[in-house]
Formats: sequence, structure tokens, C-alpha cells
Amino acid sequence: MHMKMKLIHKCISAVLLLICIVLPSGCKKYLDIKPLDQLTGNNFFKSKEDVEASMTSIYLKFFQKISETWVIGAVGESRSGEAFAVINSNSYSTRKVVEVLGQNNMNSAINDQPWHDTYHFEQITNWTAYYQVIQSANILISKLNEGIPNLSEADKNRYIGEAVFMRCFTYFWMVRLYGDVVYYTKAYQSEPLPRENMVSVMNKCIADMKQYKDNLPWTYNDPSRRGVRANRGSALALIMHMNMWNAGFDAGHTTAYYEDAVKSGQELLTQNGNAFRLLPIENWAEVIKGRSEESLFEFYQSVNYGDNTSPLAPFADTFLHYPYKFPASAYQTSLMAFKSIYMTKLFPVDEADKRKDVWYADIYSNDGHFMMPKFAGNIYASGNQDKNPDNSYLIFRLADAILLQAEALAELGRDAEAIPLLNQVRARAGAVPYNAVQGGLKDFIFLERRRELQGEGHTWFDLVRTKRILSQQWASHPLTVEQFNRGAWTWPIDKNSLNDNPGMTLNQYWVSGAGI
Amino acid sequence: MKIKLILKVLVCILFLSSNLNAQNLKVILKGRVIDEGTKQPIPMASLFAGTPPKAITFTDENGHFSAAAVVGTTVTFRYLGYQPYKLKITGAQENLVIKLKELDNSMDEVVIRGYVARSKEVTTGSSFSVKGSEVQDVPVANVEQLLQGKVPGLNIQNNTGAPGFRGTVQLRGLATLAVSNSGTETFLQPTSPLYVIDGIPIDADKASEMGFNLQGPGISPLSLIPQEDIENIEVLKDAQATALYGSRAAYGVIIITTKRGHSQIPRIRYTSNFFVSTPPALRQTLGGNEERALKLQQIYGNAVSFQDIIRISQTPILSDSLNSYYNNSTNWQSIFYRTTYNQTHNLAIDGGDEKFNYKSNVGYFLSNGILKNTGFSRYTLNMNAELRPNDRFRFTAFLSGGVGKQQKGDGLGFLQYGVADNAQASSLLPGPSFYQSSGGVVSALQTLNSNATRNIRTSIDGEYMFLPGVKLASTFSYNYSSDIEDTFTPAAANQQFSQVYGFNGRSSALYNRNMINYNATFNKKHSIYVSIANDINDQRGQSSSIRQARTPNDQFQGPLGFDASNSAGGGVLGYNRGRLASFWGAASYDFMRKYVIDLSYRIDGTSSSGLNNLYSKNPSIGLRWNFNKENWMSAFDWLNTGSLRVSWGKNITPTASLTSIYGKYNIGGNYNNQQSIGVDFGSIPNPDLIPKTREMYNFGLDLSMFNGKVDLNVDAYYSDIRNELYNRNLSNTTGFGNLPSNETGMVNYGYELYFAVRPLSNASKFKLNLSFNAAWNNNILTRLPVGYNGQNILFADNGQNTILRVGRNTLSNYLLVNQGVYSVNKDVPVDPVTGLRYQTNGKFYQAGDPRIKDVNGDYIMDKNDYQITGNSQPLLTGGMSASLSYKSLGINIYASYTAKRTILNNALASRLSIMNDPFGSDPLKGSKAVVALPDIDMWRAPGDVAKYPYAYDYTRYATIQPFRYDQTLWEEDGTYLKINNVTVFYSFPKKISQRLGVSNIRVQASVSNVITFSPYSGPNPENVTALGRDLSAGYPNSRDYIFGFNLDF
Repeated sequence: MHMKMKLIHKCISAVLLLICIVLPSGCKKYLDIKPLDQLTGNNFFKSKEDVEASMTSIYLKFFQKISETWVIGAVGESRSGEAFAVINSNSYSTRKVVEVLGQNNMNSAINDQPWHDTYHFEQITNWTAYYQVIQSANILISKLNEGIPNLSEADKNRYIGEAVFMRCFTYFWMVRLYGDVVYYTKAYQSEPLPRENMVSVMNKCIADMKQYKDNLPWTYNDPSRRGVRANRGSALALIMHMNMWNAGFDAGHTTAYYEDAVKSGQELLTQNGNAFRLLPIENWAEVIKGRSEESLFEFYQSVNYGDNTSPLAPFADTFLHYPYKFPASAYQTSLMAFKSIYMTKLFPVDEADKRKDVWYADIYSNDGHFMMPKFAGNIYASGNQDKNPDNSYLIFRLADAILLQAEALAELGRDAEAIPLLNQVRARAGAVPYNAVQGGLKDFIFLERRRELQGEGHTWFDLVRTKRILSQQWASHPLTVEQFNRGAWTWPIDKNSLNDNPGMTLNQYWVSGAGI
Repeated sequence: MKIKLILKVLVCILFLSSNLNAQNLKVILKGRVIDEGTKQPIPMASLFAGTPPKAITFTDENGHFSAAAVVGTTVTFRYLGYQPYKLKITGAQENLVIKLKELDNSMDEVVIRGYVARSKEVTTGSSFSVKGSEVQDVPVANVEQLLQGKVPGLNIQNNTGAPGFRGTVQLRGLATLAVSNSGTETFLQPTSPLYVIDGIPIDADKASEMGFNLQGPGISPLSLIPQEDIENIEVLKDAQATALYGSRAAYGVIIITTKRGHSQIPRIRYTSNFFVSTPPALRQTLGGNEERALKLQQIYGNAVSFQDIIRISQTPILSDSLNSYYNNSTNWQSIFYRTTYNQTHNLAIDGGDEKFNYKSNVGYFLSNGILKNTGFSRYTLNMNAELRPNDRFRFTAFLSGGVGKQQKGDGLGFLQYGVADNAQASSLLPGPSFYQSSGGVVSALQTLNSNATRNIRTSIDGEYMFLPGVKLASTFSYNYSSDIEDTFTPAAANQQFSQVYGFNGRSSALYNRNMINYNATFNKKHSIYVSIANDINDQRGQSSSIRQARTPNDQFQGPLGFDASNSAGGGVLGYNRGRLASFWGAASYDFMRKYVIDLSYRIDGTSSSGLNNLYSKNPSIGLRWNFNKENWMSAFDWLNTGSLRVSWGKNITPTASLTSIYGKYNIGGNYNNQQSIGVDFGSIPNPDLIPKTREMYNFGLDLSMFNGKVDLNVDAYYSDIRNELYNRNLSNTTGFGNLPSNETGMVNYGYELYFAVRPLSNASKFKLNLSFNAAWNNNILTRLPVGYNGQNILFADNGQNTILRVGRNTLSNYLLVNQGVYSVNKDVPVDPVTGLRYQTNGKFYQAGDPRIKDVNGDYIMDKNDYQITGNSQPLLTGGMSASLSYKSLGINIYASYTAKRTILNNALASRLSIMNDPFGSDPLKGSKAVVALPDIDMWRAPGDVAKYPYAYDYTRYATIQPFRYDQTLWEEDGTYLKINNVTVFYSFPKKISQRLGVSNIRVQASVSNVITFSPYSGPNPENVTALGRDLSAGYPNSRDYIFGFNLDF
């Protein structure tokens, strides 16, 4: 009996031992299943291709957000009241939204019929997608820092640089839209945060971008990435823009911001190893198509890749007509136009400027004959195809950076350095150089930016950051100081942002009414 | 005389001498104790001898015994749950076979714990058994339905009458917060117990894996088990009992054992049922002219402008009464509902002895739905064979195949919107015909749907005792299902484009379990039992679907052409693969079967829970005291058995998925000609997710009294559910939608009572069994994520919001409080500041409008006036049964009840709202059939004090919304008592049956779903969703009249 018991005990302990030793290690293997039908975190970020696909998704996400409706036009070009809807044009009542925007009546532009169902500007008030870009960038950065198998150090650094650029650029974009925003750089941020002062956000982004700008190359050997993927030029242009923005809002430190902008501008303009140049104005179609040497940063699209953004999305959707838009029956006139008084101010009738001919048609007509062929390169539609020309969405380009540098220098009183830069842009346009004796350099640079960049989404933000929006001289529909200070220059924020975020506030100007 | 005297003396001497002899003569008895029914050995049966009787020995694990006894005395064989067997000793005997007969006493069964059969006397967990014979009276597609009201604590609501579908099953209260959809169609994530069929765990929720409201293709494996083949169903309720089944058993375990062969002579039993299913009473509607008259009267009486009067002439269905097209009285409901004739057949053959036995069961079941174009049919074949060549070796093989076919019409099964909408069409319209057919009618009646599951389950089970007391047992099983759904929608039902939908899925599960059990008794007092085991489960499944629209012709249903722009699907739709590996140990010790302690520990590893948190650990402990075995209890001879149980255990269920831990990446569009793969922003991954814990304490008292005439079981439990997965909504500045978190918890506590009496004496020719059971369950929400501040409102489209508030019952309603109807205009409160009457949507209330509580006191009724109210979960559930028999004639009655539950009577809300538009949006089709409202306590004229607002003033529907769904007017008490079924049966005398060449004939007649007693004013208080919403689009339960018979050969 005793013997038997012992034997039993031995047997049991042997089996126990077997279970304890052999199974758990095999078990882990047995239980590790990688699903085939979805990419979960444990089977993604395993190669350079995964990182590349993830980076692509970040650009795509931003691009989708700014092409969901007439974003560039609504946020950057129409709020100061210079554009109007052409009477009796196709769907005139819908296009009247541009005049409502021009009165800075955002609540009506967002909510009212008949334009609401076409334009859905409430999408612009929803910042979720921007935060998705930021989260994606943060996640990518954290995964890169954790280490990706078989990814070279150089590639890793470049991807970090690109992700940081997209993060900072998104904050920059949001600040210009909404003012104070929630700022974080942590991956998988889940706790709600209150909005942070926008000057502080911009300062953090400037520091962030400066730390990582050298991770980026000046340009890419692969021409398909030129101007499309973030490069050091994009980063420096962004730093300049952020400084210029803060200079307008952080009154005590304006000089420091201008100096910082100039410093970045100098690096961009002098050390780029010929990565960038201004293309002859005759080659403008190359610039607007994208991937040009003039581009610092852009969102590229091509019908050849099957890209198909919303027909409303391009700025010039409403500023073109037949023969740039089809069908001819629907587009005998442009749907919107800029007032001739404004165009005359930008381009005085008797001053030579090739841009007047290359970028505009019937520039002073003050009706539906007005057109902006600046955005009409690369037409592929014909017959009854209602498609826009196949162009990219330019964000920063060299001419923009040159003029910004000139502006910063002029603000610092370094006119002698500013004027050659200004004239570099004018020379490309075949316009008479600016002469110091003319005076009014700062205003001239402002107007030059309007001439050069009209339709590229800078007007409103330049008006706001330079406070020119307060003056009838610069804006057809100026804001009062009181309105400006209460945030009339911002966009309303979707009230869903209040959900699950106790510290959140909306832009009070738009909640409590437009005031006086 | 002398002779007599001599004889007497002789007898005396003989008697004395025999006594003398007996005192001296001890003989050896050897033999075996077995169960009379199953022929299985009975271990630990005791042998008593002497006065007072003393235990002299116990049988070993194979029922063998060896004892010395004095000739002439009596030895009593006793085993708990069996009638004692007395044996007069006449001499030594070597090969005794003592057959003990089971007592009819619920206390003393053999129960299955952790896949091992054990005497219930020494188990500490809470469980309840239902014998197979209790689920034979009524033919059902899914045997689960018949458990309703039979098991205390198992709340089954047969809330759909759709054939082959499952109702809701909850064991010991609510166990989830996961609510999907909203409004009328708010569904609760099913928390079904784990089913273990013949030792193999089965996933019973298979058919709902596509979503909670969307019944996916496939049929629950439970619907593929014929009820005739069920030997026993055991429901494990507390964590001690379920801990050994691990993480899948958090919602309880239901063990189904099918029949085995145990008859020396092969037996053949044929069972057949014929049943008629009838629809419930349909909605009363007004037909033909009465409908028109009522609508006109409604318009004349309530029109606010002359335009409305003019509109009558523009609505031909109202004005053109002489046109035969508009001059009908069609009862549209009768077009959809029907009475059906159905049948079941089952043939069972079994035979064999201890060494080899076998069983096979062939079944057919057909139930045509009471809604046209729906139904369920099933073919099954189940077999098993057991080989036991000697005491040390046992081998069993199971094979079960089933084909189940469902027709869902054009609905989802338990939702039939097509029918619900079209059954309300105006009666003035002509009946369905080719040119007039509305899409809905064709769709409901002509959509060809076939949803078929083919299932094969095989398993082999071996057991070998390689040392005395040490058994090695191993089980392998393979379960394969193929699910196919084909739907053809004819052109007339789908905007003139016919459509084909095909779903094809397959799934399989491979299961293996190995156990080592050790069983021993020392000094006849100390018994120990130890078991170590592991099991692995490998599941996989794949499905795909195609949909082709615009096939050329209704006659042509394939092969399919190709039309890329209008067709969808074709790829792999779903793919799943899951693995489970578990290890467990269990130990049990008892002293004299008096004091019992059970310990168990199980470790589960799941492939879905991520490698960082791979294992979940389920411990349990249980104690039992069989106090009737104490010596001091011998005075209470009326008490047969009595025991107290205390147990504690935890079931840990991983709720995480690879997605919730690691996040998910989606293939996105192209940018710059490159593929993008981006973050999925639905949920933020949470690597810190911990599994859901269900910790349960159970206290139980079991009594069996008066020779088994009275049984009483009482259980009290406290179940604490923590770390329930809850998707916490996130601020949109995080970019993500929600965060799966563990920050919720709830508690269920309650009491369960089971009481059974057999009041008549054993000698009586009448047999009467009465039983009653009740379960009271309280559910309290104890925790929500911090950000919610103790409350989360789940807003619904129709305003019937659900609210989660800490400290209250988990799922309450959040509604406007209706306080009656304004009798006269003066009753409407006036704002003293503005002088304006109470208003909503810019319109002032007036007499006949609902009196809705102005919670915030601003004299405007709006979304700020909602309040928490009601409880959608029942507090009290249970059932009762009575069976009376005289010789071979008998009657069984089963009833079940549910009490203390809030139901939202949406059926009445929709019925009253039908009056909202007497014109109808389509002048040719008119509005819906109107319902007579004489029975409704409705305001009709100023001064009336009524419950319901005025229904005929159609102009106020848009603003005042008198019958808005989101008010407490629809909250009603859902208490009901339902007579589930009444069965009368008769067995023919042997003489008659043998003359017919049959050994036994039994006939029976039943009615199921006999009657429901309820204060509820809607159609059926059971036909509601798990959240208590009465769904007028639901599939009603039928009443069945059944005639059945058994033939034994």
C-alpha cells in the first residue's frame, strides 16, 4: 500500500512537472494568433513599408480634411468680402454663400439654406480629423522610437522629421482656424485637455520643428516626392509662418519672432543647395500641377492616380468657366468673381505684370467673365464631363517664403535686405521692380503677397495676423477691434467638442452672437 | 395437543439454536452494488448491520464490497438518494449483486463537476437539475425554451416566436452593460451561459455573432438537439460550480447529457407529435366604410383650416367611395398571419449492458411559422456507443449530425418590419394582386430565404484506470458547421430590380481534454479526490457573401452575371480564429461525507487577450456540511437529508481583443500613388485592459424531509461584476471615438427558492407532484468611468433613452414624466412671468393634451424635462408545476412568471399614433388602417379625466406629439403569469399494447402558451426586448395545440 502510494505520488508529480515545464512555453506560441483579416497593433509596424504606409495615411488624412468642402476658399480667401457670386450663374443662390462669408457671418454660412446642403461648412468647425492627424503622427513617432525592424537610422530620422512636420503644420493650421487649441504630443492621448493659448502652442511647435527640421532632406531624389513630402524647406517655411503669426499676437516679443523668422528664411533661401527655384511664369502650369522645384509643401493629386477629390474642393472651382470647365452650357460664366475695384487695386490697370495675363482672364470685368486661369492648368475634362482641372493644393511655395522673409525684414527695418527679395518675385512676374523711394514698403509687400498668392489660402490669415482686417483700406468687410478681440476672426467650433471634455470652451464670439 | 406442544418446543429449540448458531456464525459477503437503472456501480454505498444499525463497511469505487455478517441478521445497503435495500443473511455469498433503486428525491443525484461525475452529496456548488422527462411535453425547436420557469435563477424570456430562434437567457441577473442600437430596437448583448453538451463546450450564441439585433446566418447548435434525446440538463449557478469551466463560464454553465443505452433487450421508441400553431389575437381594425367614415369624421372635427376640407376631395381614397378600387374592406393582417400544421418524429433505439451499450436517435422537426414565408425544419441523427470491457477501461464515441433550415422571409427573423408595416395598410385598398401589389407585400411573401446550418459533432472519450484510484481520461472532439443563407428578392419587391444574396460560412472547433483523477478513502472516513487536467480549444471560421442586384428576370436566379456598379460583396466577409488553452486542478476532501471542502483553480489562456496578459485565473472554494449525518440529528427522523453550503469563486473573462489591446490599422485610400494604412480611430487601444471579474458568494440550504416528500432548496448569492468592458467616449480632441476601459462594475444579489412536495402517500394510486420556484434578483450599478460623474445617458432616436446611474438598477429609462391629460384648458399651468401657457415646440398645451411634468419649471417642455424612471430588468422570476397521475393517466401543468419589471408599451403608442394622418402621404394608398379606440381611456371632450391624450386631433401630432414614445405614459408593469403548457397523457394497459405488438403505448395532448395573466395592456408582456421595449415589429409567439404519442417496441 505504501509502495503504491509512493508510486502514485511520483506519477502525479511527474505529470505536474510536465504540465508546468513543457506546456506554458509552448502555450504562448499556441495562443499567439495573428489575425489574417485585420491589421492589429501586434502585426503592424514591422517593416519600412508599414512606416511608409502609415506616413502616407497622415498626409492623406490631412488632405481629405481640407478637400471635404471648399476649405481653402472659405477659410483663406473669402472672409474679407472681396468676392461675390455672379448673378444668374449656375446655382446662383447656392454660391451666394461667398457673400455671406464675406460679411464674416459664419453662422449663416454654416447653417442656412440654400447653400448648406451643398457646402456643409459645419465640417470645417469639426476639428476631429486634424486631431487624428496629430494622433497618427504621435503614434508613428512613438513606434519609430520603439524601433522598427530593418529600418535604417537615416530613414527613421527622416520619418520622425516628417511626422513632426505634419504635427506642427496641423497645429499651425488649427490655430489659424480656431485660435486656442488643445495641444499634446503624446501618443494615444486619451485624457481630455483644455484649450491652450495659441501663442504658447505656436511657440511649442516652433521649438519642436526646430529640433527636428534637420532630420529632413532639402529635397528628394525621387521627383514624385518633391514638394509633396515634407522637406527642410517645408519645415523652415512653417517655422517662418508660425513666427509671423505669433508676431501678430504676442505684442511684447514681436522683434524676436521677426528675427527668428528671418533666421529661418535665410537658411531656407541661402542654404538649400539649389533645391528650390522660382520657375518662369510661362511654366506656371508645372508649378500648379505640383512636384515642382518651386513647391515647398503641397498636397498633390493626379487624375492619373485615380485621385478624385470633391468637385467643390479646389479654390478655383467657382472662378473658372468654359473653356476651362465643362460642360459649356453650364459654365458660360464663372460662378464667383473678385470685385473689379479690388483687382484694380492689386493690379493697377496701366502697370505691366505678366500675372495679369497668365493668371487672370477679364481681370477687371466685375462679372462672370472674370476667371483665374492660374488654377486652370492641366485640364483633362471635355464634353459633358463636369471635372475640375487636375491641379495640386499648394500650401507653401518659394515665392511665399521669399515675400514672408521680405515682410519680416521690413518689419525689422532692414528694408535694404527686403527689397531685393520683393523684387525677385516681381521680376519673375515681369513687373516693374519696387523702388525704395515709393515708400510704403510694408504695405507694398502685403499687396505683393495678395498678387502672388491670391487663391492659395493666405489672404485672410495675412489680414488677421497683421491686423489689417481692422481697416477698410485692406478689407471690403473689416472687423471692429471689439469683434476682433472677441475672436470674430476665428471659425466656430463644433459643439460636440464639449462632449466628454469638462475643460473645453467654444469660441464665444460665435456662441453669444456676432455683436456689433 | 402433545404433538403440538412438542412441535412448539422444537420450533423454540430450533429458533434458539439458530440464534445461538447465528451468534457464532459469521459469514463473508462479497459482491457489488449497482444502480438499478443505469447498471453503474455505486461507490461509497454503506452497509449497516446490528441494532442500532452501524456502518460495517463501504463499497469501493467500483461498487465492490466485502463484509462479515452474522447469519440470520439483516444487512442494509444504503446510499444517499437511493432506497435502502435490506438483505437477510442466510449464508456466505460471493457474487451478490445489489441493485439499489433511486429515490425520487432531487437531493441525491450524481452531478457533473468539472467534467467528472460526482455525488451531489459531496459537492459544494449551487446547481439545479432538470430531468429529460420534464422537457418532452411540448415540441420545440430549441429545448432552451422549455427551461423557462423550471430553474430558479435562470431567467428565460421567449421573446420571439420566430421558429428556431432563441429568446434571452440570463442566469442570476444582468451581467453586461453592452447595449446596442437605440429606441425600440435597443438590444442587450446576450450573456448566454456556456453549454456543455456531452462533455463538449459549445458556443450557443453563434447565430448572433454578426451583431445583436442582426440575426446572422446560422442556427444555434442548441436548436439541433432533439428534445427526445435529452437525458438530463444541469444548470450550474454559482462560481464554485462554474469555476472549473473557466472564463467562458462567467454567465453560468448548462450541461446537457444525452441518452445512453441501458437495456439488455434493445428498445425502440418512436415518438411523434402533430401540432397546430395559431397566431395570437390580431389588432382590431375598422374595415371599409367604417374606416373612411372615421377618418372623415376625424378631419371634420379637427381641421384647423379650410385647406384640410379641400384636401379630402384631393384624396380619392377618402372622397371616391363609389370607385370600386377604393371600396374594399381588406384585412391586411390576415394576409400575413396564418395557422399552421406541423409535426415531429423521433425514433430512438438503444440497448446494451454494462460492457457495451449503444444508442441512436433519428429526429425530424417541422414548424411552419405563423407568419407566412417563415419556418424551421430540422433533421438530426445522434449516436453514441460505450465500451467497458473491464472495470479499468471505458471508451465512448459520440456522433451527431444535424441539418437545420430556417426561412426568415424578408425580415431578420425576430424583426419583421415588412410585415409590421404592411399589415397596417388601409383596408380600403384591394387585396394584393399583381398590379396593385405594394413592394412590402411581395417582399414579405415572395422573398425566398433559406438559412441552413449543417452541423457535425463527433467526440471520443476514453478513460483508463492505470492504478487503483487513479484514472486517466481523455476526450477529443471535432465540431464542424456550415452555414448558408440564400435570399432571392423578386423584382417587384425591390424597385423593379431582383436581387440575389448568398452567404457562405464555415466554422469548426477542435477540442481536447486530458485529466488525471485520483480518488481514495482512508480509514473509511477520509475521502479525497484530486483532479488535474488541461484542455485546448482551437476554433476557426470563415465566411463570405455575395450580393448581385439586377438579375435579368425573376425566374433566373443564377448563375449570376456581372454588374459591378450595382453588386456588392464577393470577398471574405469574416474570418476568425481563436485558441484557448487551460489547465486546472481540483481537490476535494470529505470526512465521513459529513464535512466537505472543495478547492479548484483554473488557468485559462486565450489567444484574444494579448501576450502580456495571457492567462486568467479562476479560483474557487466551497464548504458543505451535511448536518443530518450528525448523531444529534438522529432525533429529527423526519429529516432525510439536510446540508448547508458556502462557496466563493471567481470567473475571470478576458474581454479584451487584439484590437482593443494593440489598436487596429485600416487599409486606406492612396495618396501620391501610394497605399496608405492608417490608425483606426474607432477605439483607442488600451494595453492595460484587465479581464472582467465575476466574483460570487453563495450560501445554500438543502433539505429533504418526510421520506423525500418535501424538498426545499434555498440559495442566497452576492455576485460582484468588476472591470466590465465599457467603451468610454472620448473628447474629439483625441481623434478617437472611445476608450475601452474597465471602469465599470455592478452587483447582483438575490435569493432563490425551490420547493417541491409530493403530498400523497406512496401507497396511494394517485401521484401528485407540486413544485414552486422563485428567484429575486437585485441589480445595482456600482461604478462608471470617472468622467461620467456617476451617470451616462444612452440617448435614443425615439427618445426612449436608457440611463446608467451609479447606485441604481443598471438599466433604467430616462423619460418625460406623464401625469395624465389636461381635462380643461384651465388646467394648463401659466407662467406667471410671461402670462403664457405651458408650451412645447412653440405650441401651447390645451385640454386633451398630455400633462407632462415640467421638471425644470421653465414652462417649456423640452429635452431638459427628462427624468430617470423604471427598471427594464425583472426583479422576480420563477415558475411552478403540478403533475397529477392516476395509474397511467395523468396531467402536467407548467407555469412561469416574471414580476416587477417595467415595459414600454410601444405597441400601444404606435396603435394610437396611427390616427396622426387621416389623409396619408400617398393620396392613392391612403393612410394606415385605423383602429377602433372605444376601449381606450382617452380624453374626448373637455371635462374628461382620462389616461390617454386625445388621439383624433391630427393637427397636433407634429408639435404637441401627444403619443411621443419618450414619456412614462407607456411605462407599464410587465408582471405576468403564463401557463406554459398543459399536458394530458395516458398509457395504454400492457394487455392492449401487447396485442398490438407494442410493449407500451402512450398518448398525450397538450396546449402550449395557454394563457398569460398580466396587468399589461399590450399584446404580450413577454414579447419584448431584453430592455423591456415592446416591439410591434416583433414576431409574436404562437399558441400550439399538440397531439403526440410514444410507441415502445
